[in-house]
Amino acid sequence: METKKTFKIFTIYEYEKEQNYLRKMHQSGWKFVKVSGFGIYHFEECVPEDVIYQLDYNRDGIEHKAEYVRLFNDCGWEYLQDYVGYSYFRKPASQAEETEEIFCDDDSKLQMLERVYKGRILPLIVLFSCIFIPQLVNCIAHKAYILASLFGAVTCLYVAIFIMFALQYYRLKGR
Amino acid sequence: MNAHIKKVYVPMTETAFYILLCLKKPNHGYGIVQRVEQMTDGAVRLTPGTMYGSLSKMEKDGLIQFIREEDKRKIYKITDLGSEVLQIELNRIARLYRNAQEEM
Repeated sequence: METKKTFKIFTIYEYEKEQNYLRKMHQSGWKFVKVSGFGIYHFEECVPEDVIYQLDYNRDGIEHKAEYVRLFNDCGWEYLQDYVGYSYFRKPASQAEETEEIFCDDDSKLQMLERVYKGRILPLIVLFSCIFIPQLVNCIAHKAYILASLFGAVTCLYVAIFIMFALQYYRLKGR
Repeated sequence: MNAHIKKVYVPMTETAFYILLCLKKPNHGYGIVQRVEQMTDGAVRLTPGTMYGSLSKMEKDGLIQFIREEDKRKIYKITDLGSEVLQIELNRIARLYRNAQEEM
């Protein structure tokens, strides 16, 4: 069977984009096998099919894996794997209700974003405030401009991620 | 009842309402999904991401309690606090309905 790997980076808040990507791949005859390492997506050749992919972020679920997966299986979702805190599920569109997702109200979607915030964003903010920003200031003070621009670039990148995440949260909240 | 519970659950989502209502009798997440589908003739279909998140949150908030596990399914039932919150919500909905009847 033919397989292929792709390299894709979806940042913390881009799980919807990732879901769509996996669905498109399956529609074009590439079934998702796993994601590993640093954004390496593994696929195997298959008969093209419309399959819905969904990501959940629930630490409590990962800690109580058997019961968590059981509930999803009962509801017809196949559990695939966990990756950096996200759990991956899929269900053929032919067996699903129209536009079925694993969340059925905006409240629970918001709660998932809150869990992502606590699990992924908050530790990053702490990391930045305690390490990156003091380092940046330090580099500028010592006229180490190359290093400073490196820290500066990373800081800008992450600030952009934080802002995008916040925008997504408030867009959902305002709906 | 503390302010947090009031803020989060009064008023509550349709999902939360049906979960509390179903847990008057011990049941597990998937059991609730099926029961609600039956009760509403398929109009309300609860989904596992929402269900798992709501059950953990309600357990943490003390509205429901875990009783036992059966075949990898966690069985819960409503607590006194949960019943109290459900009653407040029921009263609110009854008032909505009454007012609507009078105005229409």
